[in-house]
Amino acid sequence: MNLLWLEIYKTFSRWRTYIGFGFIALVVILTEVVMKLSAGEIVHRMMRSLQKDFLVFGNVLNGWFVTAFIMNSLHIHIPFLIALVAGDIVSGEATSGTVRFLLIRPPSRYRIITAKYVTTIFYTAGLVVFLGLMCILPGLALFGSGDLVVHHFGKFGIVFIPEAEIPIRMLVAFVAAIWSMTAVASIAFLFSTLVENSIGPIIGTMAVVVVFLVIGNFPFDFFRSLKPYLFTTYMVFWQQFLDDPIRWQEIVKSAVILGLHSLGLFFIAFGVYARKDIKS
Amino acid sequence: MEESSRTEVVLRTNGLSKRFGKRWATKDLNLEVHRGDIFGFLGPNGAGKSTTIRMILTLLGPTLGSIEIFGKDLQKNRCSILSRVCGIVEKPDFYLYLSAYKNLEILGSMTRSVRREEIMEALDAVGLRSRAFEKVKTFSHGMKQRLGIAQALLTQPELIILDEPTSGLDPQGMKEVRELIKKLSLDRNMTIFLSSHLLSEVELVATRMAVINHGELIVQGEASDLLEREATEYSIQAPPLDAAIKLIHNLPWVEIVSSENGKIGVHVSPGHASELNRLLVTHEIDVSSFYPHRTLEDFFLKVTEGTSEI
Repeated sequence: MNLLWLEIYKTFSRWRTYIGFGFIALVVILTEVVMKLSAGEIVHRMMRSLQKDFLVFGNVLNGWFVTAFIMNSLHIHIPFLIALVAGDIVSGEATSGTVRFLLIRPPSRYRIITAKYVTTIFYTAGLVVFLGLMCILPGLALFGSGDLVVHHFGKFGIVFIPEAEIPIRMLVAFVAAIWSMTAVASIAFLFSTLVENSIGPIIGTMAVVVVFLVIGNFPFDFFRSLKPYLFTTYMVFWQQFLDDPIRWQEIVKSAVILGLHSLGLFFIAFGVYARKDIKS
Repeated sequence: MEESSRTEVVLRTNGLSKRFGKRWATKDLNLEVHRGDIFGFLGPNGAGKSTTIRMILTLLGPTLGSIEIFGKDLQKNRCSILSRVCGIVEKPDFYLYLSAYKNLEILGSMTRSVRREEIMEALDAVGLRSRAFEKVKTFSHGMKQRLGIAQALLTQPELIILDEPTSGLDPQGMKEVRELIKKLSLDRNMTIFLSSHLLSEVELVATRMAVINHGELIVQGEASDLLEREATEYSIQAPPLDAAIKLIHNLPWVEIVSSENGKIGVHVSPGHASELNRLLVTHEIDVSSFYPHRTLEDFFLKVTEGTSEI
């Protein structure tokens, strides 16, 4: 516990840790203000196709819709913010030279690396929770509440989720988002144990995420056949909690695959670091 | 100090070897450090000093051989051994965004819980008490070096390992660190393992020493024995010079090699340096300075000639 507390203290004493929080606060507030100012235009666009077939009334552009919209928009950017800290948490000690003090202390490397990994997950969870709070609280304050209108996950069509169900669905969607981002954090963490500078793991993680996303979205049979083997395919499984009906089998499958990725990557990092010669 | 505790082996390396790719950084090193020693570990840059220290502090794993500290195998008893050992490897690097106090608190509490007074005492011992709550990024290299020693002191270790502790310091800083090392050995009975590429640095503090080159041990033993075995060049400032030269000419174990700028350079046979000093003084010659001229290179040449094998 002591080691974990020390790691958390060190991580949250650095200004770099707050870049992600600052970015989220800025982008979310800016988006919400712009959406508020352009509310009429947005509602018009949303309703243009729907009103041909449906009679829609009530507060469609509400805080829940804004939250779902921002979460969908930022799922590429959040991994970068996570990599900023996760990619630096081990390699940063080598860059700054403090690794030479850290690893000559009695705690084993296994304990140190585990404390660092848990800190990484703690930061990841903190960032996603912050995103959620930044979306929901000002969103509800600015746009009010109402039913949620979203696209069907992976299909053509729309879903209406009653207002009463939304808070619990949002909560589990954010927990699922933390689970997804843990896999990204684990990649950055593994890279961080392999090298002695922080830039490599950050860029490396983003390269993996972007390349996998691009491969997964190419409309060719060869790339489609690869899609089930790319962790990025499962990264947006949180969206399924905002779908109807909720497909639990797919959710469990995605969660297990992402969990195995995280665990596997951590154990590789664990093994690499335990045997690593510290030359920096 | 009792003789029995003086000869207790605190650190022993057995055939310690480390290979990086095809290059052996150290080969078959057999070192022995006794309790209470200030052990000078000498060698030119690239000789394998830092590699050896990194292996002793578990930053590197040996390719061959083993390390025993306090009579226990280091690999099997890492945690219990490292709770009694501390060190600085190469330059002391800290969390620059934290204060000196917080750095010590973090590093110290990885060994055991440390109280505020202990941290302040350690800072006091190295003269940094007044800067305790300033961020380390505002510290000079010398201050970081002293803070490094403070973190080594904090957990009251029995063995301190210092890798080139005076490196990059100005003469005043070097003197302060030397004094601190002597004080730790005398006041706290700590065993100090000190690496350097400067013989002049080590000979001022070391009680025992070892010399390595190209990763291999050249010589090891009591510092006084090693340094006084060979005829050594001394520089003497002793006005009036004529009287001193006249006196020295009659001594069979001294050879004058130079005389300029108010100084005489002499070669003195082993074991006669203090006798020469005494003679000069008893003949009413004011000796204002009397110091050896030894370079690590000279020392290497002499010990590798095979005349100083221990």
